[in-house]
Amino acid sequence: MDAELMQREFMYPGHVACPGCGAAIAMRFLLKALGEKTVMIIPACCWSIIAGPYPQSALKTPIIHCAFETAASTASGVRAALDMLGDTETTVVAWAGDGGTFDIGFQALSGAVERNDNFLYVCYDNEAYMNTGIQRSSSTPYGAWTMTTPGRDWKKMRKKNIVEILAAHRIPYVATASIAYPDDFIRKAKKAKEIKGSRFLHVYTTCPTGWRIPSEISIKIARMAVQTNIFPLYEVEDGTRYTINYRPREYLVREYFRMQGRFRHLTDKDLDQIQKMVDEDWQRLLSKAGQG
Amino acid sequence: MTAEIKNRFLIPLSWITTEGNKTGSWRFLRPRFENKTAPCSAGCPAGEDIPLIEMLIAQGEFKEAWETILTENPFPAVCGRVCFHPCEGFCNRGSYDEPIAIHTMERFLADTASRYDFRASATDTPSHKERIAIAGGGPSGLSAAWFLSRLGYQCDVYEASPEVGGVLRWGIPAYRLPKDAFLQDLRHLEEKGVGIVTNKRIDEDFLKDKDDAYSAFIVACGHGKGQKMGIPGEDNPLVIEGLDFLKNIREEKSVGCEGTTAVIGGGNTAIDVARSVIRLGGKAVIYYRRRRGDMPAFDEEIRMALEEGVEIFELLSPAEIRRDNNQLLLSLQKMVVSGEESGRARVVPDGKKQETVRVDRVIRAIGAKPQEAWMNPPDNGADVQRLSHSCLVYKKGQKPVVYAGDLTNETKSVTHAIASGKQAAIALDVLFREGFAAVPKKLDLCRIGNGQAHSIEIYTGGRRKERSSHIVEFSEVNTDYFTFTPRIRPPLLLVEERRRSFNEITLKISAGIAIEEAGRCFNCGLCNGCDNCRLFCPDLAVIKNGEIRTINYDYCKGCGICVVECPRNAMSLEEEENT
Amino acid sequence: MRRVIEGSQAVAEAVRLSGVQVVSAYPITPQTHIVETISDYCEKGEINATFMRMEGEQSCLAALIGAQAMGVRTFTATSSQGLAYMHELLHWASAARLPIVMAEVNRALAPGWNIWTDQTDSLAQRDTGWVQIYCEEGQEVLDSTLIAYRLAEKVNLPVMIVLDAFFLSHTYEPVDIPDEDEAHRFLPPYKPQFRITTADPRSYGALVTPADYMEMRYDISLAMNDVFLQLDDIHAEFSSIFGRTYGPVEALNCEDAEIILLTSGTITSTSRLVVEKLRKQGEKIGLLKARLFRPFPVDAFRNNLKKARKVAVIDRNCSFGAGGIFAQELKAALCNDDVKPLIYSYIAGLGGRDVTPDVIEDIYWKTKSADTPEQESVWIGLKEVSHGR
Repeated sequence: MDAELMQREFMYPGHVACPGCGAAIAMRFLLKALGEKTVMIIPACCWSIIAGPYPQSALKTPIIHCAFETAASTASGVRAALDMLGDTETTVVAWAGDGGTFDIGFQALSGAVERNDNFLYVCYDNEAYMNTGIQRSSSTPYGAWTMTTPGRDWKKMRKKNIVEILAAHRIPYVATASIAYPDDFIRKAKKAKEIKGSRFLHVYTTCPTGWRIPSEISIKIARMAVQTNIFPLYEVEDGTRYTINYRPREYLVREYFRMQGRFRHLTDKDLDQIQKMVDEDWQRLLSKAGQG
Repeated sequence: MTAEIKNRFLIPLSWITTEGNKTGSWRFLRPRFENKTAPCSAGCPAGEDIPLIEMLIAQGEFKEAWETILTENPFPAVCGRVCFHPCEGFCNRGSYDEPIAIHTMERFLADTASRYDFRASATDTPSHKERIAIAGGGPSGLSAAWFLSRLGYQCDVYEASPEVGGVLRWGIPAYRLPKDAFLQDLRHLEEKGVGIVTNKRIDEDFLKDKDDAYSAFIVACGHGKGQKMGIPGEDNPLVIEGLDFLKNIREEKSVGCEGTTAVIGGGNTAIDVARSVIRLGGKAVIYYRRRRGDMPAFDEEIRMALEEGVEIFELLSPAEIRRDNNQLLLSLQKMVVSGEESGRARVVPDGKKQETVRVDRVIRAIGAKPQEAWMNPPDNGADVQRLSHSCLVYKKGQKPVVYAGDLTNETKSVTHAIASGKQAAIALDVLFREGFAAVPKKLDLCRIGNGQAHSIEIYTGGRRKERSSHIVEFSEVNTDYFTFTPRIRPPLLLVEERRRSFNEITLKISAGIAIEEAGRCFNCGLCNGCDNCRLFCPDLAVIKNGEIRTINYDYCKGCGICVVECPRNAMSLEEEENT
Repeated sequence: MRRVIEGSQAVAEAVRLSGVQVVSAYPITPQTHIVETISDYCEKGEINATFMRMEGEQSCLAALIGAQAMGVRTFTATSSQGLAYMHELLHWASAARLPIVMAEVNRALAPGWNIWTDQTDSLAQRDTGWVQIYCEEGQEVLDSTLIAYRLAEKVNLPVMIVLDAFFLSHTYEPVDIPDEDEAHRFLPPYKPQFRITTADPRSYGALVTPADYMEMRYDISLAMNDVFLQLDDIHAEFSSIFGRTYGPVEALNCEDAEIILLTSGTITSTSRLVVEKLRKQGEKIGLLKARLFRPFPVDAFRNNLKKARKVAVIDRNCSFGAGGIFAQELKAALCNDDVKPLIYSYIAGLGGRDVTPDVIEDIYWKTKSADTPEQESVWIGLKEVSHGR
């Protein structure tokens, strides 16, 4: 990363994210890429707290807090207003968690991207409702414990594949990114910034609190998610052109799962099953990228 | 806008930042920058700051890298060629893919220094009144002179030969160490103002210092006298001492090598002799009493000797030499392994089995000892300190004497000789400044990673002193930041060319390749400014001011990401005191 | 220019004249004619606005919240289920102090599905911090929409223009459509009192702790109170430009009336006929039309009702378990007065059932004949029901 990018910050310290919060890191990276001419739309999510209580702000860009389900529609409105004001320079960003994206905000998101509304939607995915205290979302991965999938009721359903759903809308740009790969992340954010129409970034953001992991391995876990193919880094342009950005060393998912308290209950058999699921998804992705 | 809005109506619109929240109060773990010790540097007898050197090369800062070597070792051109580089054996990268080619990097820096005519920067040193005489102009004596001058002392080096250098000038063949390479290093010593007196053989009276010219003496005369085999017929003129043979070549005297030369021994001298014989058109056969794997010569040297046509026979010990016309009949006792001793085979004669070979000469290279008995350090006593690489003697009513180099070193290598010279210099400085008794403790404080090597930089309170003595282990390196890359292999002279000339075998490498190779270095324990700490900090608590990074504990929540993501373990995480 | 147009078109004409910049819409009967007309104007370039075709009502209002925050004039329209779906955002818009204007076509809530007029949908939103203006006929719809922008932007609260389904939304009436210059004289281009901009980055709508929340809510309350004063001025200015006069209420024959009908929406028009007829018969009947519902114009009600003995409130709505909503509000407003009329509460016309002159006259006679009001609201025109077995 060049020195200028390294130096520029659009976030203030003193924000109130948990120690090791991946979402805080993701915001830093995103704004490094986008710069100050950005309006952040933030629905209910961890970041509605992290950004600081009134009268504080943790960002050097404007933030419009909005209702849980309305990140995309609010962003559409902000974009429409800027266009009417003749401001085509400012980047409008909807910045939502997985709950606000996969679940409650899904309709608004689908609607906005179907209209190809001109903004960047970033889902920082910590795989559960973390701000409310770790409840299951449709982004919670198979096998995970949460407060609403306790004990033997651990989640038995797959994580919703939001990237494929977005790609199916045939929007100009959909990509995954990880806090463990800052250069890739920032490149994608910059690329997204230059594209007109709906753009979607799915960002993997570790949650030490909710995943029951030590905060210091926050980045390491994110890296392992990529290395194990659990969270592949790829881009889909116009819903059809797939590019895989990182060919992992294909570590076993077991190593990733065994490091996290939320998966502690899983047996070796469960992990074998999960490995199969991950392998299968990876093969499907490879074939979409024409590398199968 | 603020005031206006506030007067008109109250809306949830911010007007201050979060900077007022001192989130550092949440912290129960405290990260800090803490450079540590790299295993290579602790394993380098001369204590070179290898991770820093590699880092500087990777950054293209060749002069700084070269000077970093000079800080601990005045002989980069020499060591870049003849050091047996134990550092590479300790290199953590070896546990990942292949060790860094540290040795080649040193050679590269020496070549670069020569090409661009680098001169050692003047160092700001005190000027002391004490003057020191050094007997012996080999690597340890010259090193002692170098470090003493850097510490602010006047030195005179007395050398029996017409030129200084010892084994560097007169022993090691030119294909390994060309004369120019040695002279390149010698130049900084000369520029440092070290007095050099050649053709001056020192005797025991020298230490008595009749003229009261010196405050201390260093005896670093080396092992210049070949050891005898103690077998019948050894005194035959066709039985030649290896060191003499090599010296004759370096003196450009003609040495006859026609026919077959039997070389007795398994050390580097034996290999040097055999390979020189090949170059002079002869046939060289080495007879070694143990197994080939037990030979003390460097593996690489043995391998190249074989390539060049040297034959090696193992488990054969010379028993008798007889003259037969212009040739010799060498009888060899067959040996058999009877056990192990200090990692090598213990061998005993295999009954009376012998074989006899006809050779044109025998060159003996089974070890060496001091020229004269007085050169050996005295026995233990209250006034004798046996140090790791030298021996300090301070007899009542006499000037202090340090015995150094091969005279005291268990491992008789150039790099150990340099380590010895350095230790002698530090020991004398401590003795002059703080007295005889303070020497061991002071030396202890400048050990690298609590190992055998000493650092003059640590001794003089340089930045290296700030590093923790903890030696970084492979498991502490975050290898996610590295990709498998094979190490470079420097180009060598073709074997055909090697057989017929004393041209240097190892050729130069380009700067681009050197930068790439140095970039493989983990820089264990040493911050190289990669900025991962700053990049990944969720709390913007890592601050960079110029090249200095600090942690803003007002905001640091102690998550520890910076410590884990430091690829080279140059940070530490510890419990917060107030929790 | 005078044209015969639907109530829906009257809204659209006002929106055209307002210089609106962002319009969002999601279709629901009977709101569709409003947004279709606006869409058409946008397409023709007669309105220079971005027309956002949203995927649901919550998104409609969310989009306007975003747009209005950036400092542009906005509009949307909805009805019934759509309004209910917006509920959360209604609170958001007012607490964010955004002067959004919305047309709301009163329609009954399901189940069973019913697309006809009923005020329960809008009245159920009375606590959301929106100003609510109920309209009787097409001209008032147009005029009120223009007035709504002036008011909203003055007090920084959102305004809902409410009109009856079909009886108003789909009924053609002659409407005087101001020319653009006149309209702009009354309603100049939008100058926001604050806007979100990268030039002055703020966090807008963040967490507010108990230490600050109450004051912000009190400020909304103050703004609502300010509506009375501001609206008087705006109505006066409107009158001076267009010659049409409005107030928070409209009183007809109230000065000497013994019994006053209190109505809202299109029932008022029907009531006018009844009042005319009964006056001719010598009945001391008056009519008070409630135009403004939020804030609740207590003083206007008190002043017009103080001489009457009885008030018959006709509610086309019901708060189940409490009865007609206008009646309740009126009772609550006057309960501490020394001199006050008896308040009779009637529920009529739910789900679009016709409230004919006969129904209204029946209400009058019922009121006249009863010495004291019933405890609960009286439902008018209920028929016998069999449960279909």
